[in-house]
Amino acid sequence: MTAAVSPRPAALRADRLTVGLAALGVFVLLALFGPMIAPRDPQLVDLDARLLAPLAGGHPLGTDQLGRDLLSRLLEGLRWSLAVSASATALAVTVGTTLGLIGARSTGLVASAVRQITSLAQSFPVFVLAVSIIAITGNGFTSVVLTLGLVTWPVFSRVVLAEASSILQREYVLAASMMQMSEVRLMLRHVLPGLVPSLAVLFAFHFADMLIAESALSFLGIGAPLGASTWGAILNDSRAYLLTGPWLLLVPAMLVVALVITFNLIGDGIRQRVAAG
Amino acid sequence: MRTSWLPPRLAQLTRRARELGLLLLGSITVLFFLLRLAGDPAAVIAGPDATPEQLELVRAEYGLDQPLPVQYARYLGQLAQLDFGTSLADDAPAIDKVLAAWPASLMLAGMALLTTVLVSLPLGIWLGGHPRARLARLVRGGIFVLQGFPGFVTALLLVQLFAIQLELVPALGFGTPATWILPSIAVASFLAPKLVRLVEANVSASLEGAYVRTAQASGLSDRAILWGQVAPNALLGAVALIGAQAAFLVTGLVIVETIFAWPGIGLLLVQSTTNLDFPVIQAITITVVVAVYLVNLLSDAVQRLLDPRIAGQGSPA
Repeated sequence: MTAAVSPRPAALRADRLTVGLAALGVFVLLALFGPMIAPRDPQLVDLDARLLAPLAGGHPLGTDQLGRDLLSRLLEGLRWSLAVSASATALAVTVGTTLGLIGARSTGLVASAVRQITSLAQSFPVFVLAVSIIAITGNGFTSVVLTLGLVTWPVFSRVVLAEASSILQREYVLAASMMQMSEVRLMLRHVLPGLVPSLAVLFAFHFADMLIAESALSFLGIGAPLGASTWGAILNDSRAYLLTGPWLLLVPAMLVVALVITFNLIGDGIRQRVAAG
Repeated sequence: MRTSWLPPRLAQLTRRARELGLLLLGSITVLFFLLRLAGDPAAVIAGPDATPEQLELVRAEYGLDQPLPVQYARYLGQLAQLDFGTSLADDAPAIDKVLAAWPASLMLAGMALLTTVLVSLPLGIWLGGHPRARLARLVRGGIFVLQGFPGFVTALLLVQLFAIQLELVPALGFGTPATWILPSIAVASFLAPKLVRLVEANVSASLEGAYVRTAQASGLSDRAILWGQVAPNALLGAVALIGAQAAFLVTGLVIVETIFAWPGIGLLLVQSTTNLDFPVIQAITITVVVAVYLVNLLSDAVQRLLDPRIAGQGSPA
């Protein structure tokens, strides 16, 4: 941590974004080429190789209670985590931005509903609702992505509502509006670009939140298909082997934290750049 | 915006009641239609092991043979009478099981909030008062890293360290005060990093305030100003944040209760999803929505009480 160095030069400060993006690049490469890097089939049970410590018997990160290779399972879990979080975040930002723009511009029933939902969403236990919804709709990629995306879009509409309303008051927008530019073109040409910095910051932090939510859900045994090698599921399994296989907890825990911090770094980094102009 | 013919307080109350009604109606409606979209609701309500006779019984009991609007109206009517149906696990009324689980959750939430405040307030105030200290930079870095820890990971690491490696406290259970320590810290770890950052921001903003310059001019020491004048103001921000984080606190409860086998609503919710005990899931969702909303309301009220400046304005969005 470089935090102890007193006045840090601006170049070092801005580096949060670079470090975050570099780390993200590594994670994405690991996810893309995971099946090629993985030493074994992540589901391959080998009862003679149960709970091997890291590096033992050709298993770089050891094995789990069924002798499955931990590195291979974690690589598979990384693909799931990134895919779910990316899709859920993309869904939330799309729905939240669209509805936020409608809410900022129009006075209709939909707009007032959007404003109402947005203002109430903070005092709403979305995680509990997500758990209940997935319990009803069943496990699987689509179910998790739709649920997480559709219960969290107010995060984005909140910011869009606030910022779009102020952009809409600016003179060039008023001018464009008077020249009878179509509503959709007005939003896309003049309003949306002004929202990009805030949305980018929010996107990164929301991605981190979705990673946490997804891994918490699969930790609880909700969402991911039964037996899938998700980080949450691996962490849940580890609870029975805290004494005999502590690496089953520590390795995936470190990975989850590293991935979440990666996105926090990116979010902070973008925010610093935006603030610096 | 006030309805002119009502006294302000009454109008406020009406608006709040309408908001809560909308939230409840919204969540109930979502659950209702999802249950019907997801396949045979009788199969979900009756559980995976139901016999055809049981399915018929459920269909009759829930009126699933009726048209959808009739079902919906009937369902709302039942909920209005607090009839959530009976648990599929033991035929006890779902609402009774849920209400019986709430005290344990409230206790855990209370202890966690206390822990959070005891840690975050002093730390945040100190950080805000010493923006350039070396140690403060280090602590800030530490908090940034801590914010990257999902709550369930922190909880698992706490168990590993304090219960398994050091054997200081029991890993799970609800019996003795010793079993309360880890769950309280685990839930607190969900809230503390955010609260520290908020208090710090509040304190550094207050230090720029006019009343601080007045206090400096009247010869008060920096330390006295920080802890005597600025810190009480930071409390205000803390109240607001804790209220706004009530929903997040519930997430913490669900996960931490599951890890520590703490017999509250979180554990009940997760158990109920494993055996698809739908009446209980629904009763939990509804009580949680009400509880979180009430906490928000309460924190709003406390804020108004502490800061008369807000009282004149409409509610903050």
